[in-house]
Amino acid sequence: MKRRDFLKAWMICGASTTFGITRNAWGGASFEGYPERMGVLVDLTRCVGCRSCEAACNKEQQLPAPSAPFDDLSVFDRKRRPTEKAYTVINRYETTKAGGPVYRKIQCNHCNEPGCLSSCLVNAYTKTQEGAVIYNPKVCIGCRACMVACPFNIPGYSYSSAFNPLVKKCVFCYDTRLKNGKSPACVEICPQETLTFGHLNDLIKIGHERIREMPDKYIDHIYGEKEVGGTGWIYLSGVPFDKVGFDTTLGNEPIISNVKEFLGLIPMVLAIWPALFTGFHLLSTRNNNDPSKQGDSHSYREDAKP
Amino acid sequence: MHVVRNWLIRGVLVIALTIAPADSRAQNMPDSIDLDSLVQFYEKVSFDHAKHIGLSKDCSVCHHHTTGTPTEDANCIRCHKNSAATAVVACTACHSAQPFSAETIKKNKSNVKSYHKDMPGLKGAYHQSCGGCHARDGGPTGCQDCHPRKKSGDAFYHAGEYAPKTPKNGKSRGR
Amino acid sequence: MNKLKAQEVTIVDSPYKDPGKTKWSVQEKLLLGLTPQQYVAQALRNPFNWLLAIIFAIGLPIIAGRFLFGLSWVTDSSYDYPWGLFLGFGLFTLVPLSSSGFQLGTAVELFGRHDLKPIERLALLNGLLGYFFAVCYLLVDLGQPWRLPYPMLIAFGPAAVLFLVAWHVATYLSVQIAEVSVSFFEWIGFPMGKQAVRKITLGLTVAGIILSTLHQGALGALFTYAPGKVHPLWYSASFQWLHFFVSSMPAGLCMVIVVGSIVKKTMAWRCDDNFMKNVDKLSITLARGACMGLATYLTIKLIGVAHDNKWEYLASGWGLWYLFEIGVGVILPLVLISFAIRNNKIGLVRFSALLTIFGLVLNRFNTALITFNWKLGEWFIPHWREVMITVTIFAIYIMVYRFILYRLPILYTWKTADEPVHVTEPIKESATYVTG
Repeated sequence: MKRRDFLKAWMICGASTTFGITRNAWGGASFEGYPERMGVLVDLTRCVGCRSCEAACNKEQQLPAPSAPFDDLSVFDRKRRPTEKAYTVINRYETTKAGGPVYRKIQCNHCNEPGCLSSCLVNAYTKTQEGAVIYNPKVCIGCRACMVACPFNIPGYSYSSAFNPLVKKCVFCYDTRLKNGKSPACVEICPQETLTFGHLNDLIKIGHERIREMPDKYIDHIYGEKEVGGTGWIYLSGVPFDKVGFDTTLGNEPIISNVKEFLGLIPMVLAIWPALFTGFHLLSTRNNNDPSKQGDSHSYREDAKP
Repeated sequence: MHVVRNWLIRGVLVIALTIAPADSRAQNMPDSIDLDSLVQFYEKVSFDHAKHIGLSKDCSVCHHHTTGTPTEDANCIRCHKNSAATAVVACTACHSAQPFSAETIKKNKSNVKSYHKDMPGLKGAYHQSCGGCHARDGGPTGCQDCHPRKKSGDAFYHAGEYAPKTPKNGKSRGR
Repeated sequence: MNKLKAQEVTIVDSPYKDPGKTKWSVQEKLLLGLTPQQYVAQALRNPFNWLLAIIFAIGLPIIAGRFLFGLSWVTDSSYDYPWGLFLGFGLFTLVPLSSSGFQLGTAVELFGRHDLKPIERLALLNGLLGYFFAVCYLLVDLGQPWRLPYPMLIAFGPAAVLFLVAWHVATYLSVQIAEVSVSFFEWIGFPMGKQAVRKITLGLTVAGIILSTLHQGALGALFTYAPGKVHPLWYSASFQWLHFFVSSMPAGLCMVIVVGSIVKKTMAWRCDDNFMKNVDKLSITLARGACMGLATYLTIKLIGVAHDNKWEYLASGWGLWYLFEIGVGVILPLVLISFAIRNNKIGLVRFSALLTIFGLVLNRFNTALITFNWKLGEWFIPHWREVMITVTIFAIYIMVYRFILYRLPILYTWKTADEPVHVTEPIKESATYVTG
């Protein structure tokens, strides 16, 4: 009786272990990203803070009307972040460098290995071949782990909706534009061409070329080329990145790398624990029995019962 | 690569104004150009070409190596020190109105030997080129200083008569 | 109730009304064998019930409001603090406090520590209810709680730690229901069910250890998704899951000590001699276990700081706060418990158990809420309705806890064996329960 149970347990463990290992092998491979993925190179030295991208995003994504006009520059008085009503915002940073303030656009960076995606227990996120990180509102249960996992604090959530609250974030205009080979709405409207749309691999080259041609103008770093495993939106700046609101302490490992260690343990625990603790049980209960009966499994069962 | 550089100081400009144009082709150049790439939201810009020639004198500031005075940009000189003037000098000739369309990207990609991979589109070229000098030399810099917004633009920016009526109403967004 | 017991009122503790061999009806069982008038009277006499009534009067409408008007009505709708009190307290705190079930189950069923038997059922129930109410908190917090079964049925994200938590909590909840169902089957008079569960006890217990190890750890591993957001002193990429798992063990044991002493004081009428006589002695036994757990936890916390060389953070304001948490929540109870065990001071054991629980709550709050977003320079300040809902659900937890303790044979032994097999020698069966 008990042996059969044990065998059953062992088989279940074996199955789950195999499952666990397979899963880890997928996650373990170093993912270079889809070769044809698109991206955007954001050149902070070009942005003049006109907020046209915010207006374009609002229209394209059919977001609710803003609380202030998009040409109202008083919004720069405080630092903003993307919300359920605005998937992209511009912040202004006063810097000591001559040439006035620096403006920084914030939106989803479309990571190569997104934290939101790896934290989602219903697989609501997808990194498409085109490079967009998109969201499936039909399966989201609203645990908001993605908001915790996003190293850039991007996703918003429509808390005010009682019956269909959803994660709200930039989706690279995937459904309306990117899928059809068009650049996102913000890129198209930008008068300064602060935003350069293209294949991510080309954009990285272009970014380095700009730095090489104008070493005095740029900090010698492309933010997002390597950060958290690389992002689809990458940045050039004339001032140190940490002075204009970028988190420069994130490191180059994707978020999932932090979690892999624990995920790798799961199959081990599933495989080792049952044997280990059943073994402990046999050892600790044998003492209570008559040594002459030790081969008799019946006596163990008696012990398990009061 | 377009760079706004080598600005003559005002004193030099004043002297330069008295000198006649050296290039004979300058006779054919327009005095005024209509820039209408943003007519969806803005009135077209009547660009006073003659006035800007008077202000700058250095054609290469806008036209790179293609016409008039030769370029002095260190990055351009590497190849274009002795380049002849080109047949077409209009901005639209090189700067694409659709820099990020699938076709443009595909074209750029297939042209592997091209050096100018990072050429801005038409709108970017205008704004980067004009904006740099305007900011430095006291020219108009506000969007509507050059091109007044149309009604469609007001609607797009939720400004003017389309501005939000009520003051910020905090969290209570109607569903 | 103590008064009623003094008045020689018979309280249900066996299937039969004593003299006539007639069975108690379900209604009589639910009313503990009192008449409805007696039952209502004792309920009204209890001031704690009035406190509960006030909490429910305010809290229940707010809970209803949360589902009608959305989360923004009850929380501050922060994008930077997506997880507030509901998860910070309900999930990250209640789950470790409920680790008692698997620990006592393991000790009794696997290691044959039958001397712990009188308190095993209390520990199992503590585990079950803690998990159940953690799920309740989760249901309030989830944007779309009606989609809770999605990760089991519709959309799978198997590489996500939360996927693991969801599956394990769900499975473990079933395991715990099975474990506690033994008491229920005794009470309702369904010996077949009891026997069936008894047969798979070993399997259930081993499953309990596996699932507990993994999801207690997984709650910690959840924060490895936010390496930059949790303060480095509360974060350890390699050991986060171990910190959460190990700290849950003394906390779960201390929870049983505390609950044990509360019921001893307030529900003496319901406890049988076996429980009353043993609870102090067993509390000290549990405290020994908690002591080991605390010492281990302290060690691995220090290893965590040393491993990533985070000593310099200790000099900051956060460092002082960290030292306070470790000092008051770990070292102090550790010292006090050791002293109390040596000198057999049960009162001090109880106080240190409370302190251990405080230490755990503080740790989880620090990790999930207080030091979260330390770089943003923001503070998590919950909305008053959020606090009220948290309190209300906890009050329901206490009420349900009490409701079950009043009725099921958790604190007392179900007097007569119901199984026909054992009818001939019922004394032997009950004797096994006492001596284990």
